[in-house]
Amino acid sequence: MADGVLSPGVNLEAFSQAIAAIQALRSSVTRVFDCLKDGMRNKETLEGREKGFVAAFQESLHSVSRDLGELERLSNLVGKPSENHPLHNSGLLSLDPVQDKTPLYSQLLQAYKWSNKLQYHAGLASGLLNQQSLKRSANQMGVSAKRRPKAQPTTLVLPPQYVDDVINRIDRMFPEMTIQLSRPNGTSAMLLVTLGKVLKVIVVMRSLFIDRTIVKGYNENVYTEDGKLDIWSKSNYQVFQKVTDHATTALLHYQLPQMPDVVVRSFMTWLRSYIKLFQAPCQRCGKFLQDGLPPTWRDFRTLEAFHDTCRQ
Amino acid sequence: TGIPCDSLHSTGGGNVTQVPVAEGKSVQQTVEMLTRKLELLGAEKQGTFCVDCETYHTAASTMGQTGKLMYVMHNSEYPLSCFALFENGPCLIADAYFDTLMVKLKGFFQNAKANKIESRGTRYQYCDFLVKVGTVTMGPSARGISVEVEYCPCVIANDCWNLLMEFMQSFMGNHAPGVPSVFGTKHDSIYSPADTMVQYMELFNKIRKQQQVPVAGIR
Repeated sequence: MADGVLSPGVNLEAFSQAIAAIQALRSSVTRVFDCLKDGMRNKETLEGREKGFVAAFQESLHSVSRDLGELERLSNLVGKPSENHPLHNSGLLSLDPVQDKTPLYSQLLQAYKWSNKLQYHAGLASGLLNQQSLKRSANQMGVSAKRRPKAQPTTLVLPPQYVDDVINRIDRMFPEMTIQLSRPNGTSAMLLVTLGKVLKVIVVMRSLFIDRTIVKGYNENVYTEDGKLDIWSKSNYQVFQKVTDHATTALLHYQLPQMPDVVVRSFMTWLRSYIKLFQAPCQRCGKFLQDGLPPTWRDFRTLEAFHDTCRQ
Repeated sequence: TGIPCDSLHSTGGGNVTQVPVAEGKSVQQTVEMLTRKLELLGAEKQGTFCVDCETYHTAASTMGQTGKLMYVMHNSEYPLSCFALFENGPCLIADAYFDTLMVKLKGFFQNAKANKIESRGTRYQYCDFLVKVGTVTMGPSARGISVEVEYCPCVIANDCWNLLMEFMQSFMGNHAPGVPSVFGTKHDSIYSPADTMVQYMELFNKIRKQQQVPVAGIR
């Protein structure tokens, strides 16, 4: 790929001839395969047919080798573009004579091109993503410090005691749901929610925002070998893997940037509807099982049970 | 004595039932019909299973009352355990060495070797269900078919009964049974392997009482 003006090491005419030679080579190779595909022509005798086929095949192979030879000759004429790009100080790196052992300069060029491309793609992606507002917190990212209004409350930084209080109050809300709070990894709260004898949910929080959830069965182990809460491994059962996906959808659905405690309450109310996971039939088809799974979806407003494939 | 942890999953709600042999077909053919229906549903074969049951008589003289029957059972799902139960009484879950202990207790418990009955067959997994279709044999003769269905994620027996029924109907059709007695007494307690073994024991007793030719008998 030639970018801008080539330095005078490249024979432009040979270059264009080489491109034409590549096209010729491609067409002759295609002809070889066409000849093979078509097989033998219809002639009177079997011997005549075989001779005709072999002759055509040899002819196409010869043209391939001819074109390949022409391409090699031209590529030798084209020459190599020198790497003496005027990059000021970094160009001094190319003065190192031991090119094989320390290819610093060419690696530098590659890294630079790569990071340019990355920046370009990231710009495109952020343009696309900004069209959908997925902000759950009230902070504005990307706004420079000067323009950010000074009196904005940051709900991302809340005292841990406040978070504990909110969680304790929610714990007392429902009798069949118990919530245990711990902070094994810094200031993020980790909740272990036990819902009746049906399931256990591990909720990882970031101040009062719910970051991640994992849903597991009542009889599954939620601790690692060290006795710490296991926040990574998935459930062994397909039904709870499905409920985990739904819970992740729910934590993205319930959004209220200025009042995160209402969000947590709504999420827990939604979660509580799973107490009847195995007893409730689907509200749409009336059956209990669909592909071996009970109704795992709970509507966000009405909390009715649906199969994943039955939900509207 | 407790159960050593030897299975990958804890027991969920389970049900053991007997399927009658179809008209004009042998036990083998009925088993094949069932397994074919399961495979059509999408179940995967996962090895074999075996549940066996030996009967012991308590020596009447030592107890001063009529002898009671004790059953010692094994289940390949729990290979390190041994289950000992009385008909209406408690179920003991013991280590596998319990068998050798029974040999030492020959004076108190006599083994009725002719009554040994077992069920062997294939294990299938469908989504979160575990299905075991087995041929019940007593000695050399095949006496019936047992089907065990377990829904692993649910630990409360009563909760998932409707779910289990629906699943059983999908491959057993009309032979799906009614609520087993075990569920009636345990309202919200956690299902345990002992409940499965009690159901197997009742099933084996029923088959023993049947005539040699298997007759329709659904529980």
